[in-house]
Amino acid sequence: MSNVICQGLRSPVRRLAVLSKTKAISTSIVHNETILVKNNDEFVNKVMNNEKPVIVNFHAEWCEPCKILTPKLKELIEPLTNLDLAVVDVEDNAELVHAFEVKAVPAVIAIKNGLIVDKFIGLVDTDMINNLIDRMCGKKKAT
Amino acid sequence: MAPIGGWMCCGRKSKFVAPLVNNDQDGTYDYDLAVIGGGSGGLACAKEAVNLGAKVAVLDYVTPSPQGTKWGLGGTCVNVGCIPKKLMHQAALLGESIHEAVAYGWEVPSLNDVKINWSALTESVQNHIKSVNWVTRVDLREKKIEYINGLGEFKDPHTIIATLKNGSKKELTAKNILIAVGGRPHYPDIPGAREYCISSDDIFSLSHPPGKTLVVGAGYIGLECAGFLNSLGYSATVLVRSVPLRGFDQQMASMVTNEMEEKGVKFHHKCVPLSVEKLESGQLKARWLNTETKEQSEDVFDTVLLATGRYALTEQLNLAAAGVNSLSESGKIVAEGEQTNVGHVFAVGDVLEARPELTPVAIHAGRLLARRLFAGAQQHMDYDNVATTVFTPLEYGCVGLGEEQAVSRHGADNLEIYHAFYKPTEFFIPQRNIRNCYLKAVALREAPQRILGLHFVGPVAGEVIQGFAAAIKCGITMEQLMNTVGIHPTVAEEFTRLNITKRSGKDPNPASCCS
Repeated sequence: MSNVICQGLRSPVRRLAVLSKTKAISTSIVHNETILVKNNDEFVNKVMNNEKPVIVNFHAEWCEPCKILTPKLKELIEPLTNLDLAVVDVEDNAELVHAFEVKAVPAVIAIKNGLIVDKFIGLVDTDMINNLIDRMCGKKKAT
Repeated sequence: MAPIGGWMCCGRKSKFVAPLVNNDQDGTYDYDLAVIGGGSGGLACAKEAVNLGAKVAVLDYVTPSPQGTKWGLGGTCVNVGCIPKKLMHQAALLGESIHEAVAYGWEVPSLNDVKINWSALTESVQNHIKSVNWVTRVDLREKKIEYINGLGEFKDPHTIIATLKNGSKKELTAKNILIAVGGRPHYPDIPGAREYCISSDDIFSLSHPPGKTLVVGAGYIGLECAGFLNSLGYSATVLVRSVPLRGFDQQMASMVTNEMEEKGVKFHHKCVPLSVEKLESGQLKARWLNTETKEQSEDVFDTVLLATGRYALTEQLNLAAAGVNSLSESGKIVAEGEQTNVGHVFAVGDVLEARPELTPVAIHAGRLLARRLFAGAQQHMDYDNVATTVFTPLEYGCVGLGEEQAVSRHGADNLEIYHAFYKPTEFFIPQRNIRNCYLKAVALREAPQRILGLHFVGPVAGEVIQGFAAAIKCGITMEQLMNTVGIHPTVAEEFTRLNITKRSGKDPNPASCCS
């Protein structure tokens, strides 16, 4: 989908689009497994071009708070059918880290239709995560 | 034109990458400054230069240790020096605190079961180091400093070749070049050294508990390692070739080693290692020679840690290609004002001859150099009166001259040495040893008795001495010090209570506090 480049996006996303090779097809996610992002292409296809909103979690193995937050996000988001979770290991995805100006981990960026709609840094409590999920899903949750 | 994504080192890209711009006589270079070495000095200079508008590239590369250990960006301090050392020192102190807590009323269940989990400790330490590596890389990217993970060497005075891990080479030219390659541990030329021994490069990420350890060398690295290993519960033995903490005030050095001995560290003085061999059990048999008695001894250890000095990484730079010939006998670079004999080639940090090998020294000198190069500044680095601390379990902090240095420079008659033993309040309840809690001020004898050096052995010595480094810079005198009112109850206030001189012969032991 070329919506990644055509729409008036915030600069990090534009920078990202320039960096990666965008494909002219959209992919639909069949499962609700967490997306483990390994490269820019995967990010563009499965996150930017995702029809569903995606919560992107920037994660590092050496980061203690990440070890608490990431499983929590998985627990809350995997059961949902209208919201996806993508985990980006900061050591493997330097360009994404730069594109999204991630300076500390854990960082969570909410993306809807290829646009950043929310962001928080650091470990936050379950209430805050649930609020974010509600907002992303338009207050609808799968049972 | 630069490829999309910039010049990021990447194994996926082509093997040989052509230079951006040819260096030629009209003086057009790829970079205003190329820094070889991404440690304390190199990074500080690079970041300051970029702030002042320069285009900067930083090369960093870690050749694996003989045992195969490697690490990320940040240099010795971050990866295998100050940072992990301080964390392990803290781990050791916390272990001691658990035992002391009992005297203060804490009900600690099964005190005998309290022991260190070495892999949990190293994992925490390494996680922290990795986070610092990452933040450093992100910071360089933010500041648009080109980071090349390659081993740099000179091709000609303005050209550097970086050899990447996959063998490919990258060339770059720079108007100014900074050598900030630091050093690595020296391995003595004895059988078994490289095959079986570890160094400070390896200890902080050692994959198995060190067990009974022999530390060869009694400089601050050897003593700090022996100190925390012993406190963590691993038996530690130290081989001292000449004297402990050579170059430091020897009276204070003996306080430090006395304390370590009283805590269970074994010292073998005037001993040099002869060989290390591996036994069938996997343990190591070390042999050493007492150079005074000519007696040979041996013992079996789980680990042998070599701490016999560090050497500067100048050989692999191919300095001849740049025309840099200002090297000392030990291979370090002689560079007054951090400038080598080649006008646009500079050096900073541990690679420099006759300068304190300390992170804050490298950082400060690096920044001042960047300002002189890119902001027309004039200020030069003052290498005198740099405070430092040895982080043995009972720490030793000092600033200025040691007693021996002061005597040789000014003569004993022109000096007044004030000294005292003291008793930290917190030590009473757990009945901690106070025999080595001692401090002294080395001053000129003539009024107002300007202070030449301050020395302190005790808890948190680093914290105690830091403020006094600023005081020394201001030229503090004994009159001023004695008229400074102390903070009570602290250990630092003992400096304000100094009043007994060595010359008087009076007993420097305290009668009681608060008087």
